[in-house]
Amino acid sequence: MTISRRNLIKSSALGSLALAMPNIVRAQQTTLKVVWMGWPDNQVLPLMAEFEKRNPTIKLALERMPFQQIFQALEIRLNARNGDPDIFIVDSPLTASYASRGHLMELDSIIDKKRFAPSGIAAASFDGKIYSAPFGSSMQVLYYNKDMFKAAGVTPPSADPASRWTWEQLVEAGKKMAKPAENIWGFTFEQQERPYQLLPMGQSLGGTALSPDGFKASSYIDGPAFVEGFTFMQKMYTESKISPPGQFDTALTPELFGAGKCAMMVAGTFVFDTLKTKFPNLDFGVAPHPYFAKGKPVTPTGAWHFGVNARTQQKAAASQFVTDMLSDDMNVLWYKLRPYVPTLNAVWEKEASSFTSDLWKIAKYDVQNTAVPRPATPGFREYEDIVRVALRDIQSGANAQQILTAAAQKIDREIAKYKG
Amino acid sequence: MFRHPWAPYAFIAPAFIGLFVFRFIPIGLSGFGSFFSENLRGDMVFVGLKNYAELMDDPSFWNTMRVTLIFNLIINPFQICCALALAMLVRRPSKFIDVFRLGFIMPMTVSIALTSIIWSILLDPTLGPVNGLLRWGGFQSQPFFRSEHQALETLILVATWKGAGYWMIFLLSGLLAIPKEIDDSALIDGATGIRKFISITLPLMKRPLAFVLVADTAANFLLFAPVYIITNGGPNGATQLLMFEAYQAAFAYINHGRSMAISTIILVVVLLIAMFELRLFIPAEEEQS
Repeated sequence: MTISRRNLIKSSALGSLALAMPNIVRAQQTTLKVVWMGWPDNQVLPLMAEFEKRNPTIKLALERMPFQQIFQALEIRLNARNGDPDIFIVDSPLTASYASRGHLMELDSIIDKKRFAPSGIAAASFDGKIYSAPFGSSMQVLYYNKDMFKAAGVTPPSADPASRWTWEQLVEAGKKMAKPAENIWGFTFEQQERPYQLLPMGQSLGGTALSPDGFKASSYIDGPAFVEGFTFMQKMYTESKISPPGQFDTALTPELFGAGKCAMMVAGTFVFDTLKTKFPNLDFGVAPHPYFAKGKPVTPTGAWHFGVNARTQQKAAASQFVTDMLSDDMNVLWYKLRPYVPTLNAVWEKEASSFTSDLWKIAKYDVQNTAVPRPATPGFREYEDIVRVALRDIQSGANAQQILTAAAQKIDREIAKYKG
Repeated sequence: MFRHPWAPYAFIAPAFIGLFVFRFIPIGLSGFGSFFSENLRGDMVFVGLKNYAELMDDPSFWNTMRVTLIFNLIINPFQICCALALAMLVRRPSKFIDVFRLGFIMPMTVSIALTSIIWSILLDPTLGPVNGLLRWGGFQSQPFFRSEHQALETLILVATWKGAGYWMIFLLSGLLAIPKEIDDSALIDGATGIRKFISITLPLMKRPLAFVLVADTAANFLLFAPVYIITNGGPNGATQLLMFEAYQAAFAYINHGRSMAISTIILVVVLLIAMFELRLFIPAEEEQS
């Protein structure tokens, strides 16, 4: 059969259509590159699956990174200054840092301020505009092992914020239960080196972590309150030996507590569910975060937000992601998967029944009365990294004043570049 | 000899292209970039020698320099002595020669990142098996990487564990290249043991030793993975090596100009030390002969 011109044209048209089909289909289906925190599978995947169910034309290319690495990994990706990733997790104090460097898209047109707690919107804003989406706040409580307390004959702390334990009381109780030679400990912080966890030690004694304008650390982080607070923390490792030194992996410390190797732990509300599922035989209670007897109660808080890359190629899909994730029912789903303190007002109303437990009564009280967020500064990345290394060094026994003064000088030098 | 005059150049071209793309160009970019500073929006601004001046004024940079130099002063001779000793042990066939050779080469098969993770778990003061073994043997637990007095020494031991087998192979080939006749005549002349080692073996090993020394020095000056994974430069700056300082400048402080200035300084220091080491082993007069 001769190939006539008509047949040739017909077959090549069909052929190119066949070749183009996958691309046409792909063009109708957008892929969003999402970098998310490495929270457990069962807490993240259902949330993402729900979004994909509601938006069949949007596929999520999800990347989860561990806490230890995610911030620096994001820096590398964002510094490439292209549209990768489209969506990324933002630790709320980093909003100013990312926004000032042009990494975040403005979200004022998509977010309705009235639906959120004012502190959530404040943490999401920079220069008067909203740059990140509030996705939950946090609160720390004192978990304690009821069996270990009973065995040592120590009265456990009460769940009433009015009879909150002091740090001094905690150390005394810890000493009665710690047996370091057998790897049994009295107390541990969930995050042994993170400013988020430890700044309240100095703030409880009246210290301010950074100047109000966010550009000066000298005479703030190295002031007497923080020196005293961090030296007290140091002694838990070096003198009273109630805490296991060097446990900087935040996945390990709850394991130590859950396995009955540590009598007390200050950790976030979200650890509650992890303990219940992983260690069902553990008999534990909750109490409010301790404070210094001569100071005032201060609790850590701060939120996980997420943001849209200012250079994203998928603006419509990314905006859809923001809108869906901040919807009432997606937020309730997120709360059910990983119980952070809600920033969306609707969640407090819809899940009112779950907020009656000891854990939530303490969390609600502290969020409203004692919580102090981390300092607001565009140079938060640098601030946090430098203070983190300083806290590591103090934990291993170095002189707190010397370490903090050196750290403050480093911070001042590095933050200076944001003064413009 | 070759049919076409450009044939020899064509043969060495691939290696040279690789050298250019992966070594010379990045070195040039880095040196050039060290005179610039990045502003908030990502634009590079020329600042002259400001990055270097800031480094000279920074006490923590001088601490890093001091720690790096001390580290290299100890680890380079130590690693090479270990490698030479191992090479001499596995040179002659013996009953367990294969076991020994395997044991010394095994560390090479594990990446430095994995090595760091494994050793940080083994040497964990609280949960690690090494301290468990020490306690069982009646010794005291050691803080290893958690003490500013032990951290650098522990780092040297871990790096040596990884590197000695690798350098041993080069020295082994050097040892095996010594002709048997020389060994035999040494035996006839009555030179044995240490005397033979100093007067015969070592002089004949000059070139392999020079190569291993220079290559090992460069590798140790650039040591990064164990510091990043295990110690983060601590405790209290005890393991703050230059390469880690450069990494921190780029990715923690987002100060690329400073990072490139540190990298350029590392390059200059390694070049100077390498030239000194080569002169030490191979004096100028010998090279001409």
